Amino acid sequence: MAFGTTGRILWVDLTQGTTYVETLDEATYRLYPGGKALGAYLLLRHLPANVDPLGPDNILVLASGLLTGAPFSTATRFSAIARSPLTGTYGESEAAGFWGPELKMAGWEAIVLTGRAPQPVWIHIRDDKVEIRDATHLWGHEPLEVQTAIRAETGDKVTRVLQIGIGGENLVRYAAITNDLRHYNGRNGMGAVMGSKLVKAIGVRGSGKWIQYAHDAQPVVELGRRLAKGVKEHPQSWDLQEKGTPGITSALNAAGILPTRNFHQGAFEGVDNIKWEAYEKELLTARKSCYACAVRCKREVRVDDRYQVSDQYGGPEYEAVSGFGSNCGVDDLQAIAKANELCNRYTLDAISTASVVAFAMECFEHGLIGLDDTDGVDLRFGHAEAMLQMVDMIAQRRGIGNLLAEGVKRAAQAIGGDAHFFAMHVKGQELPMHDPRGKFGVGLGYAVSENGADHLVAAHDPTLANAESVSFKGAMPLGIRVALPPRDSSRQKVVNYTIAENWNSAEKVIGLCFFGPAPRSYIQVEDVVMAVNAATGWGWGVNDILAVGERATNLARLFNAREGFGRADDRLPDRLFTPLENGALEGVALSRDDFERALTDVYDLKGWDTDTGVPTPQKLDSLGIGWAAEAADVT
Amino acid sequence: MRLHLGGHLNWYDAQRRTDVEVRLAERMPLLDLLHQLGVPRSEIIVAAVNGRAVPIEDAWVADGDRVDLYPPVGGG
Repeated sequence: MAFGTTGRILWVDLTQGTTYVETLDEATYRLYPGGKALGAYLLLRHLPANVDPLGPDNILVLASGLLTGAPFSTATRFSAIARSPLTGTYGESEAAGFWGPELKMAGWEAIVLTGRAPQPVWIHIRDDKVEIRDATHLWGHEPLEVQTAIRAETGDKVTRVLQIGIGGENLVRYAAITNDLRHYNGRNGMGAVMGSKLVKAIGVRGSGKWIQYAHDAQPVVELGRRLAKGVKEHPQSWDLQEKGTPGITSALNAAGILPTRNFHQGAFEGVDNIKWEAYEKELLTARKSCYACAVRCKREVRVDDRYQVSDQYGGPEYEAVSGFGSNCGVDDLQAIAKANELCNRYTLDAISTASVVAFAMECFEHGLIGLDDTDGVDLRFGHAEAMLQMVDMIAQRRGIGNLLAEGVKRAAQAIGGDAHFFAMHVKGQELPMHDPRGKFGVGLGYAVSENGADHLVAAHDPTLANAESVSFKGAMPLGIRVALPPRDSSRQKVVNYTIAENWNSAEKVIGLCFFGPAPRSYIQVEDVVMAVNAATGWGWGVNDILAVGERATNLARLFNAREGFGRADDRLPDRLFTPLENGALEGVALSRDDFERALTDVYDLKGWDTDTGVPTPQKLDSLGIGWAAEAADVT
Repeated sequence: MRLHLGGHLNWYDAQRRTDVEVRLAERMPLLDLLHQLGVPRSEIIVAAVNGRAVPIEDAWVADGDRVDLYPPVGGG
């Protein structure tokens, strides 16, 4: 009986040059149905403690979600999971695009890369046929060249190519993985892990269809038709289609939480030059989609002016607009688009790269690094050319770029002085462009997240601030009942946070993009439940799906406990406890007392020890993963 | 006056306009103007009149003002 998965995991031993197939039974899939859950399960089961993240003993899991490849909007995602070279924690990053669905259509639920190849290789998967091929001729080349070469080599113009650029080859600790040139497993340095294994690319082509793995595909097919028709009839999905993520820039500026000059400020005087209206006029050439997705939130841009920006690599998301824009004090959209394109060519995480450059700019302005360190680059805030040179130096690990390629935590330790105060990170991962001083729950997510600062851990507070709003009503079926202001830090806020965290985690297991389901967008909770049940036949309710998300988070938390992470690591940068210097929230800071109390509430509500932050045996048993405490050596 | 409908708020305008010119004969509460335009109060989290953030319930607007309205945004 089909239950939504292919049931098969492809293990690739790169050291030996061999492969084998593991088949998991339905009972195992019920606990770990894909993506984050499957990856965390495999990591805890197979990875010994304290491995070098960039050594051959680390494993890299590429796992589709339960619904990845289903024919409806945003069911596209897959997870890259390994011990992170940036944080040392459980590492994870999701990407959309076409590669995840193609993997499923080739009959694989996940690929696990182990060991290290003796020379650069790429892996060709055509349904059951798997080959490890020489990639010496591809090493050092840019993604467009590599994709073109692989498609020529396979004789197949639509082979879906997942790959790393030179950022991954050079083991930049926040290197990304790209697929189809425009979609990224950006965070946590998964590209560096792939580079450490000397795997340049994985090309996949499948002849199957998702529906062959479904218990009853018809309701999902009908849902896909309904969502395709309805995308313009809902304000949030319509907005994502029209503007994409760059549409939020001016809203955050007005709210006083547009990160500016390395989070010193919350409002940017140059916002009119980088907001959506300017982006649409100056950069936009097309709106693009992922597999079967009607939302079409991806932007295509092209520039032939002060800078040359290719239309092959995808336009900047909000994170890059703010990261390379306001947070570096740069109001030149063309330069921002160029910085984003360089990140994509080199496969660097645009969020971390931009944050690292902002950190270096502040160090430069305070005299902690000088022209001798930067090879003569005048690295003050607002200098667009200097910003672009830094991105290049990081990818090449040239000059100070070699230090900055280690991330802000390590760079601050090496620079010394007050540099640690300018290093905006949690557990070593740089902050995304959302300021917790205006969104308390986002700050909790940054702190508690198993893989360092991450803005997709839970719904952002403003969407749950008004009980009559479209977004709040969308969240009510999850059990969220009380609307609260964005800066509220009460225990009730923590209740909302923990529910929303389980939901977001479940999305990463199921394979849905953050821009599909409520409360962020237009797919209602009951439709997600229906789709899961149509795929599996398991008859689940929403609480079963929330439990899937919670289980995945607990597995990742146990992984971290084994590596020595605990409550002391669930902290926020000191700067967030100092007042914003301008904008609508001028003078506003986080309170340390409020934060510590809320952190205790998070642990308490999640069934974690309030002193250590480690899941209790009772919680693990209730989630059906009592075995994991022993595997993580935290009994 | 000029009204800016940020984020998804212009979905509520029949012509999907981001910036709307409105003639006001006299000062009026912002809430009344929103009601006239069909923009729901529940979708607005930030309002600014002439560049200054204001509490929506208490705000008044007049001809010549610039009013910026934004909905809750959920990350991206």
